[in-house]
Amino acid sequence: MPTKDANAEPSFRTMIQVDMEIASFLSNWAHCDYISSYLARTISHNRPDSVLFSNLFSSALNELLEVTFRTRHSGGALECRLSRLGETDRIELTFACSKEEHAFLEAAVARVQGADRQARYLSSLSGDVAPSRDMMLLELTVNYNATLRLEEVDADTVTIVVDLPLGGLAN
Amino acid sequence: MTAHPHPSNISGRFKAHFDLNNQEFSLAGSVRPQTIDELAPSLGLLKESIESVRGVLYINVRRLAQMNNTAFHAFSRVIIDACRVRPDLRFVVITSSVVGWTTRKFGRLSKIEPGITVEEYDSEFYPGQSFLEEGGFIPILRTQTKMTWRHERSILPRHGMRPGIVMADICCGIGDFAVLVQKEFEPSRIVALDHSKSSLAYARNVASEFDITGIEYTYGDASEMLLDDDQFDLVTCRHSLQIFNRPAQILKELFRICKPGGRVYITNEKNSHCLGEPRGESIRWTYNEVAKLFEHFDMDVELGPKSRRYLADAGFDDIRVESFMVTNLDGDPKDFADMIAAWEDVYAGDMAVKRGDSGEFIKQFRQGFKDHISAALHPKGYAGWPIWAASGQKPL
Repeated sequence: MPTKDANAEPSFRTMIQVDMEIASFLSNWAHCDYISSYLARTISHNRPDSVLFSNLFSSALNELLEVTFRTRHSGGALECRLSRLGETDRIELTFACSKEEHAFLEAAVARVQGADRQARYLSSLSGDVAPSRDMMLLELTVNYNATLRLEEVDADTVTIVVDLPLGGLAN
Repeated sequence: MTAHPHPSNISGRFKAHFDLNNQEFSLAGSVRPQTIDELAPSLGLLKESIESVRGVLYINVRRLAQMNNTAFHAFSRVIIDACRVRPDLRFVVITSSVVGWTTRKFGRLSKIEPGITVEEYDSEFYPGQSFLEEGGFIPILRTQTKMTWRHERSILPRHGMRPGIVMADICCGIGDFAVLVQKEFEPSRIVALDHSKSSLAYARNVASEFDITGIEYTYGDASEMLLDDDQFDLVTCRHSLQIFNRPAQILKELFRICKPGGRVYITNEKNSHCLGEPRGESIRWTYNEVAKLFEHFDMDVELGPKSRRYLADAGFDDIRVESFMVTNLDGDPKDFADMIAAWEDVYAGDMAVKRGDSGEFIKQFRQGFKDHISAALHPKGYAGWPIWAASGQKPL
């Protein structure tokens, strides 16, 4: 299991990482569901309400994996790494993609931080037949209070970094 | 009534259902389609449902564990469009806080169309049990567990308890049984679930104060749990089937989450068999009345000896049943007396009053408890509380 400790912020502790060839990942849509359910359950045990946490985390991670599934890739591997700092869990999805896709993701991530994000989310919900990838990312900030950023690993590889503050939730 | 189990790759995990009598369209399970086309039958059913109701359509998503944005968008669009063409119609989305994302996400829809409202229904789970979940009852629950544990610690290994297992304690209450199990048997994982938020808060607080880790205290409805199928080597559910109005439904859920080859362990009472001497007659009369009182509130505290039938009907094999008597001779008789005093408070206090019993009845009812306490504390007295422990194996 490769690690990227040299690049990681020291305060976030890596819990688990799953690596897959992109071609294998794309061979079955259900991989998004399997991976998100498995990883969410695996990291949920020491949260105040493990089932509630697992349910929410799986929802958010699945959307990210679905966005990744719908991205045009240029081969290589998909790395999905989860780390934790206090009540925040970090998802890092690293994959190779074309220049156009890189530019799209950069713009999308910038847009979801906008002050008008809730209005844009509602407008999409009432107007679009199917959700765009933009909307899927937007939803993470609106419904899960997530923060997103995009990191460039090298010329054709990016990492989507999503921080989810779900750890303190309990019924 | 119409049901549409789903075709293709999401089959078996998702169900849409319409109940015309209740004007209720419900979605349950997990739905994460790649395209909207996969949802066509369910979206069609929702449209038919909208066309066939008047006034209000309830959208029940209490058991909808997962729904991706593709599906959420598709169902939302049908509802939003209906609001625009049918201003006479209201939509009430019924959610549960057990499923963390639903209230917030469906709540957004009311910002788009005021005809859509969202209601969270958790507090309505088991109103009858609120008598037993008030804060004042907690010390006595701890005492009860302490007294039954003396027996159960030697009984449990005969029902599948052993080190290293993955177990769930459903209806864990204040969580003290899970703590005792963890110390004594060291299972590798314990999920402890209850529907009382105050009990769970207490359990988490105790775990935090005593630095207990490894027990996952989880909120949920035992009759509709979010826990996956076939997960646990042992599922325990103590003193709880007897205070649910649907014990068979709970057992079905316990069966579902138990691994094939694993066991489900239940304990229940037969309250009318509580006994004591001296003044046995008065004690017997009162506990017969306790059974009738619980029956009035749809709870069967006579369930203990029926455990074998319930387990058999739920599909379990290798059913084992045994009984034990907690008595005033187990440890400190004062503990036994305190427990009976707490029962008197709740049963002859809140419950009998709520049923509308006369002052004369309540006086006689209280006398049996007082006599039971006297028997427990009497130097030559004997007081007992019988419990049935039973388990069954989920077939391989």
